[in-house]
Amino acid sequence: MTTISVSEPTTIGLSERAHGLLKRLVEDKRNGQFAEMADAYRFAIGLALAHRVIPGEVPTPRTTIFNVGTLDPDKAIYGAVRTLVDTGSMSVYRWAERLAEWGVEELYRKFELGKVDVADILSEVEGTT
Amino acid sequence: MPYKGDVVVEFPTDSSLNVMIVFGDNMRGKTSFLNALRWAFYGRALGRHLHEIPLLNLLNREATAEGDFSMEVGVRFEAGGHRYDLRRRATKRDHVALPSRTEDMRVDCSLQKDSIVVVGNQVEAEINRFIPEQVSRFFLFDGELLQEYETLLMEGSEQGRRIKDAIEQVLGVPTLLLGRDEIGTILKQAQKQQTKDLQQMQGMDAQAEHQSSLQAKEGAQERDIEALKARLKETKEQREALDDELEKVEGVHRAKTRSTELGKRQAEILAKQEGNALARLGLVKTAWLDLIQAQLKVRQGQLLEEQARISNIVERKARIDTRVEDLEMLLSEASCPTCKQQISSENRGKFATQLANLKAETISLEVDGDALARVSNEISEVSKLIQAGVGKQIRNLVSEDRSLSVELTRVDNEKEKIDEQIRGYDTEAIASQRRLRDALIKQEGSVEQRIVEAERDLGKTRNELAVLSKVIANLPAARAKRSTAKVALCQALGKVFSESVERLREDLRRKVQQKATEAFRRLTTQEKYERLEINSNYGLTIIDENGNPVEVRSAGAEQIVALSLIDGLARTGRAAGPVVMDTPFGRLDPKHRENILRYLPENTSQLVLLVHEGEIRKETDLTPIASRIGKSYVIEEVTPRHSKIKVQPL
Repeated sequence: MTTISVSEPTTIGLSERAHGLLKRLVEDKRNGQFAEMADAYRFAIGLALAHRVIPGEVPTPRTTIFNVGTLDPDKAIYGAVRTLVDTGSMSVYRWAERLAEWGVEELYRKFELGKVDVADILSEVEGTT
Repeated sequence: MPYKGDVVVEFPTDSSLNVMIVFGDNMRGKTSFLNALRWAFYGRALGRHLHEIPLLNLLNREATAEGDFSMEVGVRFEAGGHRYDLRRRATKRDHVALPSRTEDMRVDCSLQKDSIVVVGNQVEAEINRFIPEQVSRFFLFDGELLQEYETLLMEGSEQGRRIKDAIEQVLGVPTLLLGRDEIGTILKQAQKQQTKDLQQMQGMDAQAEHQSSLQAKEGAQERDIEALKARLKETKEQREALDDELEKVEGVHRAKTRSTELGKRQAEILAKQEGNALARLGLVKTAWLDLIQAQLKVRQGQLLEEQARISNIVERKARIDTRVEDLEMLLSEASCPTCKQQISSENRGKFATQLANLKAETISLEVDGDALARVSNEISEVSKLIQAGVGKQIRNLVSEDRSLSVELTRVDNEKEKIDEQIRGYDTEAIASQRRLRDALIKQEGSVEQRIVEAERDLGKTRNELAVLSKVIANLPAARAKRSTAKVALCQALGKVFSESVERLREDLRRKVQQKATEAFRRLTTQEKYERLEINSNYGLTIIDENGNPVEVRSAGAEQIVALSLIDGLARTGRAAGPVVMDTPFGRLDPKHRENILRYLPENTSQLVLLVHEGEIRKETDLTPIASRIGKSYVIEEVTPRHSKIKVQPL
């Protein structure tokens, strides 16, 4: 693995469209699947990593949502992305942002179809890996 | 009543074929058949708790809907060598368009004895001469009576006391009690006269005053007791009316209770689901790591392999370096550094080749100095991310939540259905009535206790009066008075009546005990049961072959004992006659049932059994009386409000 020194951003976000979807994913606290947007955001990154997605750029307009320190206080996301993906010249968190963009779209698509929840997704991923 | 139009039933008249059996499912009209006979003889039909059924409720609903407000029951029978024709008819009064009260109906009764009309006011007396109404419960009886008589077996129960009074009424005890009470009244008058006489006699003032105050006290105590008894009666009536009301809405009360329980379960399920949802949301915070566990493990494996590979190269290179050093030393010196022997030129050539090969190999073993440290760091980072995972816990919570949702749907549906059923009922009012009924029961107990205490105090006062009377009677001045003699006579007569009451009671109890024992010995299936022993309340205890009371009895044994008592009372109260039994075999096993079926036809002139097929199977259970069945009928439903009685050959 080639290590290139790249400066990491201090904030992280999504496209405005994906941001809207992320908000809707956490709207209903009792029936919803996530307590906070950060939980859904992390889950979206995990889902993209699980599917070995090579993400494209985040569509514009883009919006900043989290402070990296808040989203990833123990740097687990950073470690996971760096371990599983060769981000090349791109910073790890920017790559994570792209993964999150893909993951949020995918999660929303699954939930919108209905009858799918976090437990189903976990089972599905366990089955395919 | 479900009967409409003419219904003719012929009873068996042959003494060797004296059993009539009427089959009918529940709600078809078995009890109505019994009530038709009761109404014909006594002009009243009884419902639950022996409450009289209002006359209008006896009319057939279909007939009244068609504008027919009349009914008639006629019975032709023989008694005491005479032929009787009894008819009782109820019709709407002419001026009434739509009857709504019993008063809107007119009831006529006619009785012919040997084709001669019995005068109106003599009809009741004539009927009571051979089938007294007070004993009628023993030969026109239903399952409820049996249950009621079983309570006699519980010493001291209130119902037991009431039944005791009813039994004594039937057996004639009140006649003597009335005599005793009348003597008591005359005694009081005599004592008052005696007091007056004493007041006029010198030196007797103190006795007169004492007697007068005791008489006043006695009067006050008697009034108190009467007032308490009136209050008790009123409370009981109120409570019984409430019991009946509550019985009608018992289903509503049960449904309301169920609805409340379901409401609680709904709340529990929702709370549990909320708790599960919170727990699940907490677990989901780290669930993203579950998604990449497989990849992390693969990566961890790759890194460990890389670590091993680099370590191997480093080790191999170290070993080669040592060997290169050794070979270079050998070749630089002519002899072996260990054994000091000369190295042959052939061996020197071999060593030189070896050295060249090793140097060539060492060139290929290039090791990145930082690689091992970097891989080790990465392994450490990946290991931190590999963890047990929360997927299983999330799945368990989701699975539980789904089961709860299914249960919640079921509970919601059931509650909705129940709430729909009880919509329109004032369930709060029902609950309030239940509370009132409970309060009345308490009040009954309290008033009963006060009556017992008041009667004890009255007894004391009467004793004091009796002692004083004796003292006065021994005083020469008072002895000469006529009132004193009258007091003494009344006291003596009172004693005679009191002793007679006890003697009659004792005698009746002995007779009932003897007859009940006779019946019991025939009915019981337990040979070790020797006899029945009667207590002061007419309750019966089974005595075994060792003379010991049998403490624990089965429901079937209770029913047999109650039947024996009823039979004993019936045979003590009147001569053997017809018996009509409604649903009498409820809790009996086949052997007891068989014993009853064998016993009753022999001890009655006619036996009418109103049964449903759940208690008697006509194919098998009637064998013991098959040869005695003279008539057999079945009650069939025409509509839910109209039944007919048809002959049904067995």
